[in-house]
Amino acid sequence: MTSDIAHTSGQIVMGWQFWTATILFLGAYALIVSEKIHKTIVAICGAAVMIAVGILAQEEAFHSLELGVDWNVVFLLISMMVIINIMKPTGVFEYIAIKSAKVAKGEPFKIMVIFSLVTALLSAFLDNVTTVLLIAPVTLLICQALELDVVPYLITEALASNIGGTATLIGDPPNIMIASKAHLDFMAFIYNLTPVVILVLIAYIISIKFIFGRHLTVREELKERVMAMNERDALKDPALLKKSLIVLVITITGFVLHGMLHLHPATIALFGAGLLLLVSGIKDPHHVLAEAEWATIFFFIGLFIIIGGVVKVGLISWMSQGVLNITQGNLFGTSMVVMWFSAFASAFIDNIPYVATMNPLIIDMAKQLWPGLTGTQLLHHPDLMPIWWSLALGACLGGNGTAIGASANVIVVGMSEKMGSPISFKKFMLYGMPLMIESVLICTVYVWVRYYILHI
Amino acid sequence: MKTKDLMVAVKTCLKTDNTIREAVNFLKTNGGERIERSDVLPVVDQQGAIIGILSAHDILRAVHPFYLSMAETNLGNFTWDGMAESLARQAGHKTIGAFMTKDVATVRENDSLMECVNLMIKRNVHQLPVLDDHGKISGIIYEKDIFHVITEVMLDKEKGAQA
Repeated sequence: MTSDIAHTSGQIVMGWQFWTATILFLGAYALIVSEKIHKTIVAICGAAVMIAVGILAQEEAFHSLELGVDWNVVFLLISMMVIINIMKPTGVFEYIAIKSAKVAKGEPFKIMVIFSLVTALLSAFLDNVTTVLLIAPVTLLICQALELDVVPYLITEALASNIGGTATLIGDPPNIMIASKAHLDFMAFIYNLTPVVILVLIAYIISIKFIFGRHLTVREELKERVMAMNERDALKDPALLKKSLIVLVITITGFVLHGMLHLHPATIALFGAGLLLLVSGIKDPHHVLAEAEWATIFFFIGLFIIIGGVVKVGLISWMSQGVLNITQGNLFGTSMVVMWFSAFASAFIDNIPYVATMNPLIIDMAKQLWPGLTGTQLLHHPDLMPIWWSLALGACLGGNGTAIGASANVIVVGMSEKMGSPISFKKFMLYGMPLMIESVLICTVYVWVRYYILHI
Repeated sequence: MKTKDLMVAVKTCLKTDNTIREAVNFLKTNGGERIERSDVLPVVDQQGAIIGILSAHDILRAVHPFYLSMAETNLGNFTWDGMAESLARQAGHKTIGAFMTKDVATVRENDSLMECVNLMIKRNVHQLPVLDDHGKISGIIYEKDIFHVITEVMLDKEKGAQA
């Protein structure tokens, strides 16, 4: 490959290309963090410059598996967005939320628990923001019916959505990115992450019982308002709902089997989206397609190219050597550092650019540790696997730490403010940070016991 | 007939930090004889320039919970008796800035009625703030008043034709 400037040889040439790419990368990240310019615009401009000044050839940016746009991630995201955009108008999510409140019989803490569990479960398969945007309006309605403070409900839902999203390959963008780069399949995430997410969720429910459970009371007559709601009124298009659910089951079955079928998750998702578009009877797909979150998609595209540039010039390699120097090749130590550093980093910065940077860094580290290995042998080296899981757990759960840690948090903070009960940065952190630390502690014990003591 | 002949003179203007309750009070007391038509108050900035209007519809929006329109389905199915009243009680304390209609089309006192009709149709509004020669708000012209004028003309003409 002509593109190799330095990074595979171990010798990094710190020429103009190295510094230009590094400055572009740091400048772009600083602008993203500052929120002075929309992150998608920063990513697009950064990517364009990276190609224009010749650090990456356009060919590499668009087509290289190692340096270019990760189309697995892009197509998986777009396809899932299309599926959910077709399903949304059926009212099924509102139906589920109202049903939940009725199952809880209007009991305030039971509602909190069931809403959290439903949000976590939906987030495991849908985008977290979408889940919160679907469940929160009903939550606010139920809170007003029961004359409850909305703040505890909104916060617990956002946190639950980030926990639930950690459980599967498609639950949260960091997992999608890790799966693509590390060639991990859907079931690998189920075997390795879902068990610990269930543990985290149990601890979370017990914790919110202590934090909020004691203060929640509702007058008996108000419960009648909730019990009088007929959740079936929420369902608008039963025929489309039926089709959507069938396609969703097929798609999730496809995800479960994609490893065996030798198909990428993006192929499964694309198939699901295509099938649902076909059977839904939509004449003109323009509207459904236009509603995909293109700003997010282009943010990924731009970011991948920027990262490709700094991988090519050797910055990532230089960073991974630094990490290895610190950890002295102690992989248990590395995995703990990765988990905790990822958690705190994700609590304050967007976990998408963070994981986009960490993925090539970990791969580079693996190359330095096991120079003879390539492909799956390298990416799935038994000693490397716990590091991938630590990265996923830290980056996903870290989002719970602060109000800006995850998009779902930003959404609920905005909604709460609109409801006249603003959640300050400090207030969110007061709940989010201890619960995040609790969850990462559970993961620490899990990774240590499972991968370093039991080796299973 | 010109705009100024048909407009309702403005006695009170709001500032963005007025509360909904204050606005409602102005509407109820300052309307005088024409109370049934004075359902709009102009909102002005510190310099007295118009920056928006507060209509009855905007006041309804202050009572309407935003999350009802966020949902994909009709959450209105799940509301209860007494909800609007209890939210109205809370809405009184909100400031009008968030609920006023911004970016309003305006007419001048000497503009023709046709210009008013044109703007009302193009912008799909039922009233227009009227500005004087100095660009200061002087009145509001209502669709209902224009309707009254033009229907009179129509009926007169018919009478004439029949006679």
